[in-house]
Amino acid sequence: MTTLIRLEITRTLRNRKFMFFSVLYPAFLFLAISLSYKKSDTVGNSGLSAIAYLMVSMAAFGAMTAVLMGNAERIAREREKGWVRQLRLTALPGRGYVTAKVASAATVSLPSILVVLIIGAALKNIRMDAWQWVAIAFSTWAGSLVFAALGVAIGYLATADVARPVSMLFYFGLAILGGLWVPIYSFPQWLQDLAGYLPSRPYVALGQAIEVGNAPHAKDITVLVVYLLLFAGAAAWLYRKDTRKA
Amino acid sequence: MTAASVSTSTQEQDGGPGHGPRQPVVSFGGVSKSFGTVRAVSEVSLELFPGETVALLGPNGAGKSTALDLLLGLKNADAGEVRVFGTSPTQAIAKGRVGAMLQSGGLMEEVTVRELVALACDLHPKAYPVDQVLAAADLTDIRDRKVNKLSGGQEQRVRFAMATAGANDLIVLDEPTTGMDVTARQAFWATMRAQVEEGRTVLFATHYLEEADAIADRVLVLHRGRLIADGTAAEIKARAGARRITFDLEGGIDEQALGGLPNVVGLDVTGPTVRLRSDDADATMHAVYGLGLYPRNLEVAGLGLEQAFLAITDAATSAEEAGQR
Repeated sequence: MTTLIRLEITRTLRNRKFMFFSVLYPAFLFLAISLSYKKSDTVGNSGLSAIAYLMVSMAAFGAMTAVLMGNAERIAREREKGWVRQLRLTALPGRGYVTAKVASAATVSLPSILVVLIIGAALKNIRMDAWQWVAIAFSTWAGSLVFAALGVAIGYLATADVARPVSMLFYFGLAILGGLWVPIYSFPQWLQDLAGYLPSRPYVALGQAIEVGNAPHAKDITVLVVYLLLFAGAAAWLYRKDTRKA
Repeated sequence: MTAASVSTSTQEQDGGPGHGPRQPVVSFGGVSKSFGTVRAVSEVSLELFPGETVALLGPNGAGKSTALDLLLGLKNADAGEVRVFGTSPTQAIAKGRVGAMLQSGGLMEEVTVRELVALACDLHPKAYPVDQVLAAADLTDIRDRKVNKLSGGQEQRVRFAMATAGANDLIVLDEPTTGMDVTARQAFWATMRAQVEEGRTVLFATHYLEEADAIADRVLVLHRGRLIADGTAAEIKARAGARRITFDLEGGIDEQALGGLPNVVGLDVTGPTVRLRSDDADATMHAVYGLGLYPRNLEVAGLGLEQAFLAITDAATSAEEAGQR
């Protein structure tokens, strides 16, 4: 199983084009959107600097892009080419396949998070304690596993033709409703309440809690863990149950 | 009555000398599988025993691939039961007892041949060393090549290496030599024979009948999802009418009298030429002379497995169509 994980990571690293765009896209977006912010802007009445809020949102958004967009389509294509059939003739358990795919996705999301944070510190003069930087990077990376598992599950449910539009739908839907683009404080109250139970809102909330000097909320962590188990479980089940010709 | 009910199954009885009660490697008990209204596999029952080399024959669409998918747990039967080494196919695979090479099996891209074979070895509970597997599949020279840059025959060898990465007891091959040239095909079967000599059970689907004739010690014939024949290649040939008798007759030909001769299983008359298929050429010819006929240009020839195969699948088709009317 460790060989499969290592091989999946190696393949991802060899795919230079995919790495390049996944890593640089959120960084460009962060730079472009932050131009319209003033350094003194704060978010709602939270006292949080708007640019720092945006940085954490963009790091999360970038990680989501990296893990959700490439993975689902690649898996759907591998299924169509029969590679997954071949793997099902080995002793590999369903969780092994899902673990390997999530691990390879995490290889791409880590650099994309780090680049956004480095730009925030170097070009946007965002200042925090060292532990906050480390904690934000780690929690954003760990949280991206939830969306990586979602990508694997979509790759299993959809054919190669529709995997991309379906993951786009989840990606934009979750990004917007989770307040990754527009601050969540501008949403009506009922929508804010609903967003708390989607995976994307608790995901950015991890980093934002750390930004103002707190530990991430237990409720957010719980929601994310539940989604991770749900998506990974569904993906493993679909892997084993995939009796379609595909 | 359909043709399936007359299928011969002799292997269970004459298991060969020196065999006590044997646990079957594979058993199908009344297995059926449909896709929509199409019955891909219909009430198939069979058992494979240790050390057998079994060919699975059938025209395109006969249900060969579906039968193999059921055997490997890639599809689930609608009815009946599939057991492999006394357990479910999935469990047998998890224990590393089954190696399979599928036509439809894709390969992981962007990795080298060695990396992929190393993966197969890593996943196998009873794996051989990677370099040994590479050598056995004749891949040592191209071990550092990327998998997506291989020719069709090379890809087949990689699939073969993946299927034989460990000490399996059963090897399942779906049209293994498709895309190989003659030399590669011979080399492939030489490698395969080495596997058989180690006591493995081998089941292969093929549409090259000469391969079945030369390699298998038991032949299964599937036709429209049904198992219509099960025996040695010689038995299948005998069932189809093992001999083809050709002669010319002068004057009128009484087709009814010729067709009613002993041991005749097929008759075709073109002009003065009579073609008979018989399962006992001596008895048939004796009766021909007994009718007072004087056949000229007499030829008696053995039927190849290919003609035997065509004869029994044609017979099954007409029996089935008669049954539907």
